[in-house]
Amino acid sequence: MNIIETERLTKTYRRFKKPEGLSGSIKSLWKREYEEKAAVRDFDFALQEGELVGLIGPNGAGKTTLTKMLTGIIAPTSGRIDVMGFYPNDLKNEFKRQYAVVMGQKSQLFYELTANDTLRLFKEIYELDEKQFRETRAYFTELFGVRELMDVQVRTLSLGERMKMELMVALLHQPRILFLDEPSIGLDAIASGQIRRFLKQVNRERGTSIILTSHYMEDISTLCDRSVVIHHGCKVYDGRTDELFARYQKNKKITATFSQELPPAQNLAAEGAASLQGQAGGQSPRRPSRWEVLERTPHKLTILVPKEEASAALAAIMPWGPTDISVEEDEIGTVVERIYQDGSRGAAL
Amino acid sequence: MNSDFLSGYRKYREAAAINLKAQLAWRADVVFNMLFTVSKILFAYLLWGIIFRQRDMVAGFTFHGMLSYYIISSFLSQLELSGGISGEISARIRNGSFSKYMVLPMSIQGYFIAMEAGVVAFYLAFDFLAAAVWVFLFRIRFAFTGEPLVIACAALMVLLGLLFMVQLNFYLGILTLKYQEINTFLMIKNNLVSLVTGTIVPLALFPEAVVKLMRCLPFYYVTYLPSMLLTGRCGEEALPGILVLAAWCGALQLVIGITWKKYRKRYDGVGI
Repeated sequence: MNIIETERLTKTYRRFKKPEGLSGSIKSLWKREYEEKAAVRDFDFALQEGELVGLIGPNGAGKTTLTKMLTGIIAPTSGRIDVMGFYPNDLKNEFKRQYAVVMGQKSQLFYELTANDTLRLFKEIYELDEKQFRETRAYFTELFGVRELMDVQVRTLSLGERMKMELMVALLHQPRILFLDEPSIGLDAIASGQIRRFLKQVNRERGTSIILTSHYMEDISTLCDRSVVIHHGCKVYDGRTDELFARYQKNKKITATFSQELPPAQNLAAEGAASLQGQAGGQSPRRPSRWEVLERTPHKLTILVPKEEASAALAAIMPWGPTDISVEEDEIGTVVERIYQDGSRGAAL
Repeated sequence: MNSDFLSGYRKYREAAAINLKAQLAWRADVVFNMLFTVSKILFAYLLWGIIFRQRDMVAGFTFHGMLSYYIISSFLSQLELSGGISGEISARIRNGSFSKYMVLPMSIQGYFIAMEAGVVAFYLAFDFLAAAVWVFLFRIRFAFTGEPLVIACAALMVLLGLLFMVQLNFYLGILTLKYQEINTFLMIKNNLVSLVTGTIVPLALFPEAVVKLMRCLPFYYVTYLPSMLLTGRCGEEALPGILVLAAWCGALQLVIGITWKKYRKRYDGVGI
């Protein structure tokens, strides 16, 4: 059963264009020029109850505008929108009781008070009875492992701890849909990993549908079976996340740091070739010709390699005794650009 | 907006309570607020003491009558803290964080009224304490009416007055949806309120024609008339005053409803 449906959903912003300089400012006092910008265009989308969908796109792609329309914060310019049987921008309380939204950098917590104080407020706002409140609070306190943090001032918590509290506040009334806008922004790897684990569990155990907007490929790849990619306000991909990454995530960026000075640059290719030859069992070795050195200093090396050659590249680097190695996926913008180019040739959707 | 406010009073009570708790979080703030109240009374005592050295009466007030008026009026004006609401709403609409109120299943205006009530409860307690201590220390012969009906009218008027000011500031705040920038409105409102509420000088010092005009405006009933009622004056204006103020509250609520309905869709939540 679909709990969200949109058809040809469009949002156009009207914005003031001021000519450059003081004279432009003075002229604009009596004559103003406006331009229209479509943030979301003809967007068709459906979400089934219990789904966990990733919304991917570079900055300004229209992800947040879409989320704002789905939650009723802003009104669409045109198109059809139905969320749990409601037109969101009517802002009916029956509608608002059934979803929650967490915006990474906008908090519902009272910083000078404790998380328990905010939870108590939200208990009343969502009209929960005492038993239900205590049970849900206990469930999330255990799940997030924050029992000892419930009675300390929120402002003294770390960013990761604060995000856990933010999620607790959002999930207290057991919403049918949870909208998450960049929940892991600014968090370190450990905290992001924890948040991802909690979200997975909440989705699985409580059946909460989740729409996750994130810049981080790891958030999407570990959490979402389905991904929707937005570019310039249009949907350019809607399908399985593993297929998305298999088709469009082509490279890995490897960064290694060394305590000793690096050997000459040409050795890297030779080591890589040997490693690839070893992997191929001595037959038809591939040449690591597409390895691109992005940065090279005496103690640091960053290379971009095709993802299927990442292990060979690591094997080539290991003999030089790196003190630290990180492997990153293609950045979201790169992937989206590839999908967009593919889409313009009619292959993405 | 109104039906929400009436149906779920517990959520608004909790919103008021959490704002009261937030006020109590900072001990230094509590102490400095009391010192500020005390210093205002001290300055008034010195200032009016100099003026009354050369005469016994000023505009019908004795020295102690004037101080009583000043203490009550200053106490009431310190309770009127809604000025920040318009600025906060305006800033939040402009930076997009107003969304946090839009997603909650409660009236946004009701939430702001509840927040204000929580803050007022805090100041009510501490300012009352400070004022009482100073009345005792300066041995002011406090001129306070003994008529229960007048006291009840004054209390109701204070409540309606505070509600009106929250409504007014909420209204000015949501005008940001149309005008984007409301600082000029706020400046005009602040100057008008300071003058018309009688917090700068008692309205009795103005010519009668001006006072008549002010009686038609709601500001006259926010701090000035309740202060006069509580010091035993203008008793005949109590009931008409309540009616005028209630009419203003009703009218402004209507305007808020229309404005919100008309301009709500202009909110673009930019910044989130």
